[in-house]
Amino acid sequence: MSVLDDLFRRVPALLMARRNLSRNRIRSGLAVLGIIIGVLAIASLGMFGTTLRTGASQQLGDIGNEISVSPNFQEGIEELTERDVDEIRRAVTDGAVVPVRSESKLVSRGDRQTVTTVYGMEDPGALYEAEEGRIPDRLRQGALVGSGTAGLLDIEPGNTISVDGRTYRVSAVLAEQGGISLVSPNNAVIVPVEDVNGTGYSQVVVSADSGQAANESAVAIREALNEREERVSVFELQSITAGINEFFGILNAFLIGIGSISLVVAGVSILNVMLMSTIERRQEIGVLRAVGVQRGDVIRMILAEAGLLGVAGGVIGAILAVGAGVALNAFVLNDPLATFQVANLLYIVLAVGFGVGTSVLSGLYPAWKAANERPVEALRK
Amino acid sequence: MNHIIELQRVWKRYDTGGEVVEALRDVDFHADPGEFVAVMGPSGSGKSTMLNVLGLLDTPTEGTVYLDGQDVTDLSDREMTVHRKRFIGFIFQSFHLIPTLSALENVEMPTLFGDDPTARDRATRLLERVGLGERLDHRPDQLSGGQKQRVAIARALINEPRILLADEPTGNLDRKTGRSVLDLFDEIRREDDVAVIAVTHDPQLGDYADRTVELIDGRIQ
Ligand SMILES: Nc1ncnc2c1ncn2[C@@H]1O[C@H](COP(=O)(O)OP(=O)(O)OP(=O)(O)O)[C@@H](O)[C@H]1O
Ligand SMILES: [Mg+2]
Repeated sequence: MSVLDDLFRRVPALLMARRNLSRNRIRSGLAVLGIIIGVLAIASLGMFGTTLRTGASQQLGDIGNEISVSPNFQEGIEELTERDVDEIRRAVTDGAVVPVRSESKLVSRGDRQTVTTVYGMEDPGALYEAEEGRIPDRLRQGALVGSGTAGLLDIEPGNTISVDGRTYRVSAVLAEQGGISLVSPNNAVIVPVEDVNGTGYSQVVVSADSGQAANESAVAIREALNEREERVSVFELQSITAGINEFFGILNAFLIGIGSISLVVAGVSILNVMLMSTIERRQEIGVLRAVGVQRGDVIRMILAEAGLLGVAGGVIGAILAVGAGVALNAFVLNDPLATFQVANLLYIVLAVGFGVGTSVLSGLYPAWKAANERPVEALRK
Repeated sequence: MNHIIELQRVWKRYDTGGEVVEALRDVDFHADPGEFVAVMGPSGSGKSTMLNVLGLLDTPTEGTVYLDGQDVTDLSDREMTVHRKRFIGFIFQSFHLIPTLSALENVEMPTLFGDDPTARDRATRLLERVGLGERLDHRPDQLSGGQKQRVAIARALINEPRILLADEPTGNLDRKTGRSVLDLFDEIRREDDVAVIAVTHDPQLGDYADRTVELIDGRIQ
């Protein structure tokens, strides 16, 4: 005896339900199709949302880990002093503090030249990675060139460039930064901090190890520097990522809402199918009742039918949705395996749950109606 | 002897929008274990109505129904269903087998919802007894009328009832097949001590019955 037979013996409602569904295969098939479409819609729209979110956060990189401290111009403070930087260093327990000076300068190599942003930094290695060459631990001489500027002026490590008449040997060309960044290196040149005019700093970038650490640092910096007067404004990129996450949350809910409409339609079609089939089987159900089958068992039998339609539709829909997700992620993210993540699993479970739930709910009225018909009435032709 | 089932002063009225139809009028009736009672009468005289009241499918408007000495007139639907399952087997003119189930499954059907490990064996033996040991896995549409009625009789017997109620059991069968079904009834009531109450227009049923009750216009004559 197979497992299925065993299950049927144990749960007779399922046996009856399965036989009843196979009575009119086309009708059952169409009802299942409705659920498949609904489940597919919910799951794949949910996964579509995940893909968009993943794509967006790839674009954003880990900017959530960075905060920027800049002088508060409204209070008349124009630059951050060494003392401010020291206080920031003390406030930040976990992460790199990089004071930055910036200016626009004329950069040239040979007969090519361009005006670009020049950052003065002591420790650029905390923020950037090299594409070619290497970034020294402390930048005391030499320059780092962003990928954009390097392309424009055809610069490689070892070349000599001139910045406002001063010559530098190029130590490294920096890797292109795809995401949003507080101090984007792409079209910039980075030189030792003493070489940029001024005594203070235009901003201090703090690069923490995690979003949480960044947030704690921001709080600590505000406490330390803004105690007496609002000396600095602290900008957390996390606020952007939080906003973006919220946006994608809403987008996802919206997409799933659209998917749910198709499930409701599927539910109505199951209601219709079940109602028709119970009306057709009126006499049979009357016989069941006459030979001693309780109302509750009739209800169970019909709910099992509706549930089976839902489970069949849910399983097929889930399989198709995974297929759709793999195709989507392969196309959008170039990474089909991105389909298999917890968020997507939840969407699939949610969709299948909705599918089965809708079906069973749609079976309730026909079940109730069939079970409450008096057997005498049902048996009279 | 104790009556297995008894009706006392039973009335059944149907209120059909103003006009009241009296389907049963002051009916007293009883049957004993092992007895074969034929119920006869013209169409519309209340035979099916009486059988439904006897089978706890319907409740009388007035009067009392006793089953095995117990007053079962005002039981709840659930209790009536339990009593039907325990005491009563039904046989219908048009068999009323479930088309999606095999002969064996049809016979098992009354036991399906409930834990009954020996049901399959009993069903097999009953089908062998009614001469369908070779047809266990056939669907109803693969059986002749007489065979279907035999399956229905086996189904009625699966829970070892005390009463068999049959509404025109031979009505859809030819004379010879009808006779074999009646032989089966006769055997059952003898061997199993079951009361058989059969509504019929079939005159040959008179040869089998211990007693014939005639209903006219809802009254027992
Ligand atoms: N649900 C009902 N509503 C109204 N009237 C009914 C109902 N059921 C039965 N009747 C009436 O009760 C009377 C008896 O009906 P019943 O079915 O018992 O007759 P019968 O003797 O079995 O007839 P037949 O031999 O044709 O089967 C009939 O007049 C019928 O019209
Ligand atoms: Mg009748």
